[in-house]
Amino acid sequence: MPVLTGKELRIVGFLCNWCSYGGADTAGVGRFGQPTDLRIIRVPCSGRIDPLFIAKTLINGADGVLVSGCHPRDCHYAEGNFYARRRLEVLKRFLPILGIDPGRFDYTWVSASEGQRWQKVVTVFTEQIHALGPAPRFDAVSADMLAKAAAGALGQGGNRVAA
Amino acid sequence: MAAVKYIASDKLPDWLKSLAAKSRVLVPVAEGGGVVFRPYAPGCRPVFDSDATAPPKGAVFPACQELFRYEQGKDPEDPGKPTLKLIASTEAEPTVVFGAKPCGARGFLIFDRVYIGKKFPDPYYIAAREATVFVTMACAAANVENTCFCHWVGSGPADGSGSDVLLTPVAGGYTAEAVTDKGAALLEDPALADGAAKADEAAAVKAAAREVLGEAPDIAASPAALLAAFDDADFWRDQSDKCVSCGACTYLCPTCYCFTITDEPKGMSGRRMRSWDACMHFQFTLEASGHNPRPTKAHRLKNRVGHKFSYYPTLHDGLVACCGCGRCIKSCPVSVDIREIVQNAVARAKG
Amino acid sequence: MSRLEELKTRIKEALPGLECVIGWQKGYDPLHNTPLFMRTDADVDKLEWGPLNVHNPAVYLPTFTGKKVGVVVKGCDSRSVVELLQENLINRDNVVIFGMPCTGVIDLSKVKARLAGAGVSAGTVTAVTDDGKTVSVTAGGQTTAMPLAEVRADKCGRCQFPNAVLADAYVGDPIAPAAPAAAADADLAALDAMSVPERMAFWRYHMERCIRCYACRNACPMCVCRDHCIAQSREPHWLTQDDTATEKLMFQVVHALHLAGRCTECGECQRACPMDIPVLALKKHLNRTIRDLFDYQAGVDPQAIPPLLQFKLEEDNIKERSW
Repeated sequence: MPVLTGKELRIVGFLCNWCSYGGADTAGVGRFGQPTDLRIIRVPCSGRIDPLFIAKTLINGADGVLVSGCHPRDCHYAEGNFYARRRLEVLKRFLPILGIDPGRFDYTWVSASEGQRWQKVVTVFTEQIHALGPAPRFDAVSADMLAKAAAGALGQGGNRVAA
Repeated sequence: MAAVKYIASDKLPDWLKSLAAKSRVLVPVAEGGGVVFRPYAPGCRPVFDSDATAPPKGAVFPACQELFRYEQGKDPEDPGKPTLKLIASTEAEPTVVFGAKPCGARGFLIFDRVYIGKKFPDPYYIAAREATVFVTMACAAANVENTCFCHWVGSGPADGSGSDVLLTPVAGGYTAEAVTDKGAALLEDPALADGAAKADEAAAVKAAAREVLGEAPDIAASPAALLAAFDDADFWRDQSDKCVSCGACTYLCPTCYCFTITDEPKGMSGRRMRSWDACMHFQFTLEASGHNPRPTKAHRLKNRVGHKFSYYPTLHDGLVACCGCGRCIKSCPVSVDIREIVQNAVARAKG
Repeated sequence: MSRLEELKTRIKEALPGLECVIGWQKGYDPLHNTPLFMRTDADVDKLEWGPLNVHNPAVYLPTFTGKKVGVVVKGCDSRSVVELLQENLINRDNVVIFGMPCTGVIDLSKVKARLAGAGVSAGTVTAVTDDGKTVSVTAGGQTTAMPLAEVRADKCGRCQFPNAVLADAYVGDPIAPAAPAAAADADLAALDAMSVPERMAFWRYHMERCIRCYACRNACPMCVCRDHCIAQSREPHWLTQDDTATEKLMFQVVHALHLAGRCTECGECQRACPMDIPVLALKKHLNRTIRDLFDYQAGVDPQAIPPLLQFKLEEDNIKERSW
C-alpha cells in the first residue's frame, strides 16, 4: 500500500482515451493498488493536450500534472503523440523559468493492456510529488522574497534601470 | 484660501508617517523600469521629479473591483426552492494619494461628471472618491516633458483643480497650499511650518514651468472638426495606420473611465467584477450577435479621440475629457500622438 | 546619392503597384521615430533610417490580407517576415521587401537610464545625433554621448543577420555580423542564476505592475490572432479580469507558449511594454530550448517547417523517462 499517511496532494492526470485511460482501467479491473491523489481528465488523444492546460493547472495551484498517451507508433490517430512529445518536452523545460519545479510535471506512455505499468507510473509519480510537497503558490510568495526581488537581490536581469 | 505652509525635504518622511498612521498612503515609487503608486512604508523612496508611469487612477477606480459576491443554495425547509444571497459592500478605505502630478488628480474631474451625476450615481465610485485625498506636486520647469500638453486642455503645471493640497518644489523642500477643506485638515501637522517666506519662490517655480510649455494651439474648434471628420474613412485610416490597437493609452489615461462587467462563478457561488475596459480593444463594442460596430482600429481610435475632444465636451460644458498628461503619447509602443490627430482634424475642417 | 536616397528612389518606383510601403519617420520628439505608411511620393520623403527605427514593421503585414504592400526591414524585422511566410500568414506575392544593412537600434530604456544617471529626464530631449558609433542626446540643456554598443537593444549585441535574410530590393553592401557581445543575454543569465522559488518571486514582483494592456501581444509580429486572442474570450475562458499577478503571468505563459518555435526574438513584446516588464526573457528561454532540442531558429528559411508542426519517429534530443 502506498504510504499516504499525510494528506492527499492535488495531482491532475491528462490521459488519452485509447491507451492510457484504458491502462488505468485495466489497473483498476486487476485491482492493482494505487495512490489516490491523482484526478484523471480523459482527452481524445495526447495530441489534444494544449501545453497551456498543464501550465494553467500548475500556475493555479495543482501540486503535480501527469500526462499519459499511447506509445509512439501506437497512436490511435497515428501521429498525435509524436506532436505531443515535442510540445510536452518543450513545456517541461519551460516550467522552471516560471518558478515551477520541473519535477511537478511528467509525461509518459501507457497502453491499454499495461495495467501494471500504470500502477508503477502513478505510484512513482505520486511519491515524487509527495517528496516535493505542496506546490508553492504565486499568490503566496513571501514578503521577504518579494523584498529581495524589489531590491534586485535575486540578480534581476538585464540593463533595465528605473528611469 | 489658507496660508501657505512649508515642509523641508527631511521632514517629509515624518509627515508621510503620520498620514500613514491614519490612512492608506499611496506614493509613486520606482518598480522595475516604471514608476507606480504603492502604499507608503517607512524607508521607501517616493519619486517626485518625474510623472509616474501609471497615474493614481486605481486609487479611486481600481483596475478590477468586486461589485458583489453571491451564494446560491436551497431552502432547507423547501428543497425545491432555490435561495440566493448577495453580499455587497461599497466601503472604501481612507486614502491619501501623495505626490501625483496635478494632471493625474485632475483626471477625476472628468470621472465626477459621469459617476456622481444625477442620472446614474455610482455608489462604489462615490464612496472611494470621498475617502480619497490628493496631495499633488506641481511641476518644476525641469519636469515638463515633451509629451506634456496640460495647457492645451485649459489646465497648467500648477493647476490645483482636482487636488486637495498642492505642493510646489522649492529650495530645500516644498510649499504646501490647501485647495479644499479636506486638504486643509492634512496641513494641520507639526511637520509643516509656515511658508509665507517661500511663497514668492513657489510662484516663480510655477511660472517657470508654465513658461516652458509655451503657447497652446487653439483647439476650440475640435468638437465640430472631429464630428465633421466622422465619416471620412481615409482620414481615420491615415491617423490610425500605425496604431497596434493595444490598451496602453486607455489604461494609463487618468480620464478614461470605461469599464466592463464580468461574472466569475465557482460552483454555487461567484463574484461580479467591474474592471477597466479599453475602447481600443475589439471586444469593447463586440455585440452578442457577433456584430461589431467598430470592427477596425480606425473606428476605435476615432472613438477615443472623438470622445475626449468632441463628444464629452459637447455634453459637459466644453470640458475636454483629457488632462494633457501625455501618457498615451509617451507610453504608446508606436508613438501615436493624440495632439497631432486633434490638430489634423482641426486643419482638415479648415480645409 | 546616399543610401537612404537610393532606398527612397526604389520605393517611389515600386509605389504605384502597392497599397502602401511601411517604414519609419520622425516622431513627436527627437528621441522617437514612429512607423510611417507611405502612400505618396511626399510620404516617401519622410522616410528615416538609423538607430531610432526600433519598431518592427512586420507586425502590420497580416492586417493587409489580399492587398499588396511593401515593407522596409532591418535584419531582425526580415526574420519576422520570413516566419510569417513560413506559416502562410502572408502571401509572398503580396509583399515587397526593402532592406538595408543595419548597425543596430537603441533600447530606449537604456537611454532613459543613461539620461537619468546624468540627472536629466528623457522626456526633455531636444536633439539626437548619431555617427554610427555614438548616439549624442541633448536634454535639459546638456548633451550626453552614449556609445551605441552600450545603449543598443540586447538583440543587436548578438545579431547574426544585420542584412535582410530575404529582400526584393536591397540597397547598400551587406555587412558582416559583429562578434556577439557578452552582455546580450544578461537577463536570461540572471534568471538562470536564480533558484526555482526565486524565479517565482521574480515574476510575481514584476507581473504585479502589469496593466493588462496587451501591448506585448499587439506589438508582436507573430501574434496574429489579435482581436480573437484566447486571453480575452469568455468561451474558452482562460483568464479572468482579476487584477492579480497570477492571471497576468498566465497571459505571459499563453503568449510565450504560442510563440514556441515561432519567435524570432525581435524583442517587441518587451520594448512595447509601458511598464517595462522583462517579458522577453521567457521567449529567450524558449528559443534556447528549441535550439537545444531541434537545432532550429525561426524566421531564417522561408521553406522550413516550424519544429512544433513536425516530428521525427525517433527524436534526437528528447530523452524519455523510464519508470
